[in-house]
Amino acid sequence: MIRLRRLVTANVRTLRQALFVTTLAGLWELAARAGRLPALLLPPFSDVAVALATETASGEILGRLGFSLALVGVGLGLAVLSAVLVTAAAMSARIVSEWVQTLMAILHPLPGIAVLPIVILWLGTGYRSIAAVIWFAAVWPLVVNLHTGLRSVPATQIEVGRNLGLRGLHLVAEVLIPGAFPHILSGMRVAWARAWQALVAAEMVFGASGGEGGLGWFIYKRRFFMEIPGVFAGMIVIVLVGLIVERALFDSVEARTVRRWGMTQE
Amino acid sequence: MRRSLGVIMCVALLLGGLGLAYGGGSTSAARSPQAQAQAQEQEIRIAGQFGLVYAPLMVAQKHKIFEKYGLKPVWKEYGSGAAVREALVSGEVDVGFMGIPPFLIGWDKGCPWKAAVGFCVVPVALVTNNPSIKNLKDFKPGDKIALPSPGSVQHILLAMQAERELGSATAFEKHIVAMPHPDAAAALISKKGIVAHFTTPPYIFEELSHPGMHLVVDDVTCFGQPFSFNVGVATTRFHDGNPVAYACFVMAISEAMAWINTNKKEAAALLAPEFGLTMEKTYRYLTWPGMDYTTAPYGLMGFADFMQKAGYIKNVPRSLSDIAWENLVAFVGDRAGEPSPIQQLQFRR
Repeated sequence: MIRLRRLVTANVRTLRQALFVTTLAGLWELAARAGRLPALLLPPFSDVAVALATETASGEILGRLGFSLALVGVGLGLAVLSAVLVTAAAMSARIVSEWVQTLMAILHPLPGIAVLPIVILWLGTGYRSIAAVIWFAAVWPLVVNLHTGLRSVPATQIEVGRNLGLRGLHLVAEVLIPGAFPHILSGMRVAWARAWQALVAAEMVFGASGGEGGLGWFIYKRRFFMEIPGVFAGMIVIVLVGLIVERALFDSVEARTVRRWGMTQE
Repeated sequence: MRRSLGVIMCVALLLGGLGLAYGGGSTSAARSPQAQAQAQEQEIRIAGQFGLVYAPLMVAQKHKIFEKYGLKPVWKEYGSGAAVREALVSGEVDVGFMGIPPFLIGWDKGCPWKAAVGFCVVPVALVTNNPSIKNLKDFKPGDKIALPSPGSVQHILLAMQAERELGSATAFEKHIVAMPHPDAAAALISKKGIVAHFTTPPYIFEELSHPGMHLVVDDVTCFGQPFSFNVGVATTRFHDGNPVAYACFVMAISEAMAWINTNKKEAAALLAPEFGLTMEKTYRYLTWPGMDYTTAPYGLMGFADFMQKAGYIKNVPRSLSDIAWENLVAFVGDRAGEPSPIQQLQFRR
């Protein structure tokens, strides 16, 4: 009983949120069932839940989800790799650092989806173009954060590392990366969010095809067949994945690193 | 807890407001007696798309034919049949033009509308840039076929031919890529990404004029006989609420079409600047074998039967009157005994 109470107090925020979301779903159901809005515009929440269940059972959603996640993995992985290389180059020479900063100022404000027409021209349609758009959406926030993160490590810490006999990669791994970790983590968060949005947008605007389409294509196809509950189901899956990655992955990494090391104000 | 209650109430108010706004919109749209009296200046919101197919709408616009019948047309242009359908569903427009499949998908899902006029019969065809592809069986697993969107006329024609040649309507679901016509034509000609394009004029003509391109299958082979590439659809609200405006709409479209059919040279001269083409080219396209601007509907039931069997829609109309307004039902007729030739044209052969 005490244990249960402790569990309840620990999760009271989550419970409140769950209650809120349930209330929203209930209001949605009521609004749709009230009959003032045609079901074509706002299907009842229960219809959406049924669509979500049947599309999951048929394997359609999981297949599309797998495809989307794999694509984000490729795009984001390449973005991390290139961000590391670019930042390493920028850290080694002042002039490169200036170039990188100029490039960032120019390209960071450009949304990934805006480069899609050019990307399609260069790479054709299909998964390569979408991966490129994801790469573009994610690489700049990564570079920005890596760059500022590494620069913000206090010189005294680096000196202490040197005095302890750390050199080269050891110094990077033991002092620079942990020192820059709050920035790296927030860079990863932004990069993930932008990559996920870019993926769905790219698939819906263009370049998706039946054989190689993810959740964006799923929504696109449901729209053209006027299966509005299916459209909502696709949206819910996109939101859920975003939430799960944010909560399960980033929050736990943050708790185990930055918070444990006492690097955040919270 | 009190704070979260406040938030919930805010959301409830918001949702309620949404309902009211929508409900309010529909009541104000229901014509008051005063508006009825002013039928002379009856507004009609028309949703079309861009292209050769919509030549009658362009002529009506240029010659102010709708105005002649006392209508005040508001023209809106959309990028796909599905977008036209969404405009009709949301109440943004009164009438719209789309392919039979998007129209039937909407009807199947309960959209309150029926077909008001046939619009045009147009050559549609699958063009490839791969010389070794002679029929659908020659497509390899990675080969991509571009078409405007899932659920479009082109998609359903591909499914029809796939069923005929490979025994499965869904054999090419993994091959299709949704692309607007201009992009797909460019990709096909430059051999980037796609090997075939299911398309309409003028893109068919442009593509086939390049070396190495050839036609894999045409629409009449897929469907069995000619069919309306596009139909004019009127919502029940417009048809029932404004019978006079509805009749004027049908008449205005008929007049625009009759003018094109009797004055093809003049039509080409009138429309060439709209398409950014020369007059000669526009004339050649308008008079391409197979082009037919006609208000007669072709193939309405044939699409419905196939789409229901292949699983694209659930319901199938019991008779033409389920999906067409009176003028079309009367036009097609109902011959006692054997169906008449025009009745047979509603089905596949």
